[in-house]
Amino acid sequence: MKNRLRVLRAERDWSQADLADRLGVSRQTVNALETGKYDPSLPLAFRIARLFGQSIEEIFEPDPADPIAHGP
Amino acid sequence: MNIRREYGMNRAAWSYMREFGAAMLGYCIVLPVSIVIIQANPHAAWRVPLALAPVIPAALALWAYVRFLNRMDELQRRIQLEALALASGSTALLTFSYGFLENVGFPHLSLIWVLPLMVALWGLGSALAGRKYR
Repeated sequence: MKNRLRVLRAERDWSQADLADRLGVSRQTVNALETGKYDPSLPLAFRIARLFGQSIEEIFEPDPADPIAHGP
Repeated sequence: MNIRREYGMNRAAWSYMREFGAAMLGYCIVLPVSIVIIQANPHAAWRVPLALAPVIPAALALWAYVRFLNRMDELQRRIQLEALALASGSTALLTFSYGFLENVGFPHLSLIWVLPLMVALWGLGSALAGRKYR
């Protein structure tokens, strides 16, 4: 799943460790989220969305190969 | 606090390192002391509970790990699930296999090697699972 985390973090001039502290997760987890290697749980996705003041859909974009996520 | 951030550790990992380290330190003290006392009193009735004394710090280390599991974040928990699956599954298969080999003349090995084998495989599993998300 693609996401705009790295851009949103850079806009606020936060390091991965800063974002990790604000989300209450490890820096490794922030890195895995940014590189798309790990998809967050729904509660973590909501925490991320609240932190950046955006909706989940504005931050995360479903996999292009998933037809159901994109609708008909 | 700064050291913690420098190594990219969250609070959960930091407390785990402290608690696990304290338990291991306890183990390193209790084990030689119990061995020396048992060797000096080989026929004492209390040698049985004393022989089990090193299990207490080992159990504290396990408790520290369980606390860590409850405090870590979701990705770390997933990595630990994969590491534990690899460690318990391969320990089971390896010890099971060796049991059959003993039937055909391989030397008998003490059960004491099961724990170190499992811990080593768990460490390997953590490294392998962690690498996938780097």
